Amino acid sequence: MKRITDLSSFNAAHEAGLKKLLPATGRIAVGMGTCGVGNGAEGLYHALSDGIHSRGLSFHLAQVGCYGPCSEEPLVNVWLPGKPLVILHKVQAQDVAALLDDLSAGRIPEELALCKVEEWDHITGQVKYGSGLPDLPKWNEIPFFTGQSKIVLRNCGLINPGDIEEYLAVGGYQALYKVLIDANPEMVIEQIKAAKLRGRGGAGYQTGLKWDMLRKAQADQKYLICNADEGDPGAYMNRNEIEGDPHGLIEGMVIGGYVTGATEGILYVRAEYPLAVHRLTLAIQEAEERGLLGENILGRGFSFKLSLVEGAGAFVCGEETALIRSLEGRAGRPTPRPPYPAESGLWCRPTNINNVETWYNVAPIVVKGPAWFTETGSPKSPGTKVFSLVGKVQRTGLVEMPLGTPLKTFVYDIGGGAPATKTVKSVQTGGPSGGCIPKEMFDTPVDYETLAQLGSIMGSGGMVVMDEDNCMVDVARYFIEFTHSESCGKCVPCRVGLDQMLAILNRFTTGKATEADLGTMDELSRMIRDMSLCGLGQTAPNPVLTTLRHFRQEFEDHLRAHRCRAGVCENLALSPCENSCPLHMNIPRFLELLKADRLEDAFLSVVMDNPLPASTGRVCQHPCDNRCRRSGIDEAVNMRDVHRYIADSIYNGGRYDEMIERVLEHRFPPTGKKVAVVGAGPTGLTCAFYLAMMGHSVTVYENNADAGGMLRYALPEYRLPKSVLDDELKLIYKVGVEFVFNAVVGETVTLNDLSTMYDGVFLSIGTWKETWVYLPGTELKGVLHALPFLEALSKDEHVPLGKKVVVIGGGNAAIDSARTALRMGADVTVIYRRERKDMPAIPEETEAAEDEGVKYAFLATPHRIVSGEDGGVLAIECAKTTLGEFDSSGRRKPVPTGEIQRFECDTVILAVGETVDLDFLKASGLKLKEKEKMLDVSPFTLETSRSNFYAGGDLISGASNVSNAMGYGKKAARNMDQKLMGEFRWPRLWPEFEYSMVPPAHVSESGRHHIHELPADERAKGFMEAVTGLTPVEAMEETCRCLRCDIREGNH
Amino acid sequence: MDSKITIRIDGELVKTDRGASIFEAAKANGKHIPGLCNMKGLKPVGACRLCMVEVAGVNRLLPSCTTPAQEGMSVTIRSARLDAYRKQALELLLSERNHVCAVCVSNGHCELQSLATALGVTNVRYGYRYPKLGVDLSHPRYVLDHNRCILCTRCVRVCAEVEGAHVWDIAGRGIHSMLTCEMNRTWGASRNCTSCGKCVQVCPTGALAEKGFAVEEMIKRTASVERLTAVRGGGR
Repeated sequence: MKRITDLSSFNAAHEAGLKKLLPATGRIAVGMGTCGVGNGAEGLYHALSDGIHSRGLSFHLAQVGCYGPCSEEPLVNVWLPGKPLVILHKVQAQDVAALLDDLSAGRIPEELALCKVEEWDHITGQVKYGSGLPDLPKWNEIPFFTGQSKIVLRNCGLINPGDIEEYLAVGGYQALYKVLIDANPEMVIEQIKAAKLRGRGGAGYQTGLKWDMLRKAQADQKYLICNADEGDPGAYMNRNEIEGDPHGLIEGMVIGGYVTGATEGILYVRAEYPLAVHRLTLAIQEAEERGLLGENILGRGFSFKLSLVEGAGAFVCGEETALIRSLEGRAGRPTPRPPYPAESGLWCRPTNINNVETWYNVAPIVVKGPAWFTETGSPKSPGTKVFSLVGKVQRTGLVEMPLGTPLKTFVYDIGGGAPATKTVKSVQTGGPSGGCIPKEMFDTPVDYETLAQLGSIMGSGGMVVMDEDNCMVDVARYFIEFTHSESCGKCVPCRVGLDQMLAILNRFTTGKATEADLGTMDELSRMIRDMSLCGLGQTAPNPVLTTLRHFRQEFEDHLRAHRCRAGVCENLALSPCENSCPLHMNIPRFLELLKADRLEDAFLSVVMDNPLPASTGRVCQHPCDNRCRRSGIDEAVNMRDVHRYIADSIYNGGRYDEMIERVLEHRFPPTGKKVAVVGAGPTGLTCAFYLAMMGHSVTVYENNADAGGMLRYALPEYRLPKSVLDDELKLIYKVGVEFVFNAVVGETVTLNDLSTMYDGVFLSIGTWKETWVYLPGTELKGVLHALPFLEALSKDEHVPLGKKVVVIGGGNAAIDSARTALRMGADVTVIYRRERKDMPAIPEETEAAEDEGVKYAFLATPHRIVSGEDGGVLAIECAKTTLGEFDSSGRRKPVPTGEIQRFECDTVILAVGETVDLDFLKASGLKLKEKEKMLDVSPFTLETSRSNFYAGGDLISGASNVSNAMGYGKKAARNMDQKLMGEFRWPRLWPEFEYSMVPPAHVSESGRHHIHELPADERAKGFMEAVTGLTPVEAMEETCRCLRCDIREGNH
Repeated sequence: MDSKITIRIDGELVKTDRGASIFEAAKANGKHIPGLCNMKGLKPVGACRLCMVEVAGVNRLLPSCTTPAQEGMSVTIRSARLDAYRKQALELLLSERNHVCAVCVSNGHCELQSLATALGVTNVRYGYRYPKLGVDLSHPRYVLDHNRCILCTRCVRVCAEVEGAHVWDIAGRGIHSMLTCEMNRTWGASRNCTSCGKCVQVCPTGALAEKGFAVEEMIKRTASVERLTAVRGGGR
């Protein structure tokens, strides 16, 4: 290797590098960062190498670092002369043959392409690849890169980290050369100061000021240290930076050494980064051989020695004083400051420590000047920051964004939001020292100050996205467990405080916490934060403080209801399915009982958990499917349809009466207490059933002539035949529930009457009022509301319906109305203002409706209903919208395009939501929630502001679904009984079953069995049930698919 | 340059030596800042965090043992927040190991105990950890009882800095930190221990004690070690 000692040898190396980067033969480069290698890039590289060799091709094959989108690995970039550089993604070894075929024929395999790069700004230099391939998006046109600005990652994934000439080709070491020729260190420090470059390790201290201090310090020896001890869970920015561009780091440090007067630098890299260590070691060697490091650099007389030390993996060694102690060979424990490292650091000499990323910013600032640097980012925090975007987003990877970019850009625009069917809940920034920011605050610009205000920190740049499957209590516990095990043990608050904090959090996640723990945890967090010796302890409570601040509800759920909604805290749930079920049905049990061919026991298990199993078996929103662990293998177990099968088999098999007797065996003796239930919908029926089972005398008041509520009057016959509902109601009658029909509470009987007549009252009147919409034309003849429409039909009343019907809305009521209207012979279009995936209706229903012939128009906001001559409807006009920014629910807000869309129709059905009868609520004198027009109840007992008055269902939650409603009824019964009887009798109600608690030796490999729909044209003709249940064999097969998550260690 | 500087402690103007820590400045003026790890003559480490004080214009608490007093500084050594935090720190220490005063040789002469009394620690809000820890009886004259150790490292420092033997150090990390003798030898097998007993005398609790004393009988002669370091000219 020739030493570079003057401009001509410098330029010669630069030219040599360009020949490798843009060889006349074309170039293939494989992304071989740790992320790429983990996804098979090594095999891919060898396959390419063998292929090129055996075919006698002349492509230049290179290894490069990671280009950023980790979820698209392995990445390969290919370049043919005159064409743009094309980034290929998810390339597998089996693609190699076709790839080489294409390339040797001068074709770019566009089907594998992610994006193209026509020219690249390496900041220190530009590379023009070529143009063409108009069908491919440019790199910054694909969502992952939109808005990204690559300063630190300027070379990553494009140049070979193992070849210094390629670094020189893109303008590398020019900044160093310039600094050495200018020989004006003060000016460089002034530039860094003017650029307001802040430390990228997390604290954000001005780098220029630190350098100035070191320059002014008088000593025989000064040191520079690069802190590459990146240890945050979920953060790997530094790893990829070093793996992709080691010389960028070296150049920054040599410049730093020259301007501060330090002649020795140390890279402290964590030993868990073997590839980074390897590439950096090679780079140091190469730079020394070329005279860019070591003695007499670039022949300008300056000498700088750089060595690499591998840290043993202690998180606390990211703390500068601990890092220095570690370098000195002592235990990695921090020491008090003062003295600061700038006065007395390594070996008691003045020392400056900067994070990896800070060093990467040096060369660009020197080359382009501070004014250029401050153009990017926010005024207080100029420049960019690299984040590792990981967790529950569709696209993960390394993202370099200007500081001050709002969080939602990261989560939704770049990351693409949560995977389908999930919603993002929060983002954790800064690792164990940071905090969790809830989705409501995603407008927050990401910079040092704003994150600190929210109780989090920027940290080194980890960004972990969490969705509804993440329990925030468990997240806090996880991070405290981490800092607890990484605490050095020197100071009391961190050593003992974190141990006590972990003990408290463990109590929360196992359901053993007390009310006092909530307060203790809060005050302990503050004490640890304010009293600890170093950054580790001072920031360790941040995850607890932020989750307590933003997700207090989850702590209270764990504490008071012993419930972990996310289903993460295993001690609080039987299994993920049970945890997700609003009725908390013991799903694994009934599956196992049916599997053992014990249909009657299975029915008893089901019906005791859920008194309307056949109805819910048909219409439940099945949240269990979303949580089933089987879906990690293929698809969720079809739990809903198995319990429908169990219930149908009993109702139709002639053994129902016998089973009713078995249920009644578990009824408690009469208590003499009287309870009134208002509303005979699913909520009221459930509550009445359990109260009657517990020996109370229950009377249900209902303003309709029959029981069932929405099940009877809103669900069309083809979804839930009335005969099924009637079968189920038989049990409720049999347990002794009395009904008073056609009774309007508030009119025929008042709440005060109920109060004097009964020991307890449960209100569940549901949401039967249509939401008022401001839309010109709603007064026209031919405009209907969904619920009255469905209700009238269920009562066999005549409803005049036109030939062309438009349904407005996207919920279940909209789809039910649409499918009903279709069955009445109309041509139906459903208009929804958002996208299809945002529709709240059950997806199976939406699809079934489409198969039957219902048309959809999405992104259309009703504007006005046009009247015809007869006072009827002529058409509806909608404002066409396009998707705008993400709102706090994580959905894109529809923005009008200005275009008006007209749908000719004669009937409009409004299904835009239902609300509670507010007049009733106001007259009741019960306390209401301030903003929402709902009843205010204690979330844990469901008791209203009036003693012994409880409420549940849609009345307190707003319009929801059957299983949620029934869950409230069940919960209310439990709490009402406890209040009435003064003891907790609930656990005694449940029959015991003996069943296998051994994990299945052979889980069925069969796929999910889906329900059987009648052919679309056939079912659209009438109101016969559209879906038939599972066959006995299918139901049995489904039970064999269950993985039995309810079985824990020790049970077998 | 004047060798004295003026600072304000809890509102009162006091004079102190230039270069003194806030802790020393307060002590020299008859003001007591609580502390368990700091000791005259030993290099301060700032480990117990009981001596944290508020300094006007600084938005975080500072350890008075390692923070030099500076001209014009205004220090608050007692406040509701500091009192609460100090109590919490003491409670954490009491919960950490098995501090059973009734059967301790240092009962009645223990710095941890007397500080807890002075600060009004009447109960411990945290769960006791009750670790199972050993007692090292292998030294002919002295005892090391890990159950009473608060990891203040006074013994470590006095042995390394004053006696020059460096018998003691801390092994492990976090809550598993333990005082260790040389490279994990028993005290009796130590090759460097001179049996000078300074570690025993500086130990604020009953963790290090002389053999032959029963409950309440072990009275430490901490002051004599302080005098010794003063004669040596060590420390500050």
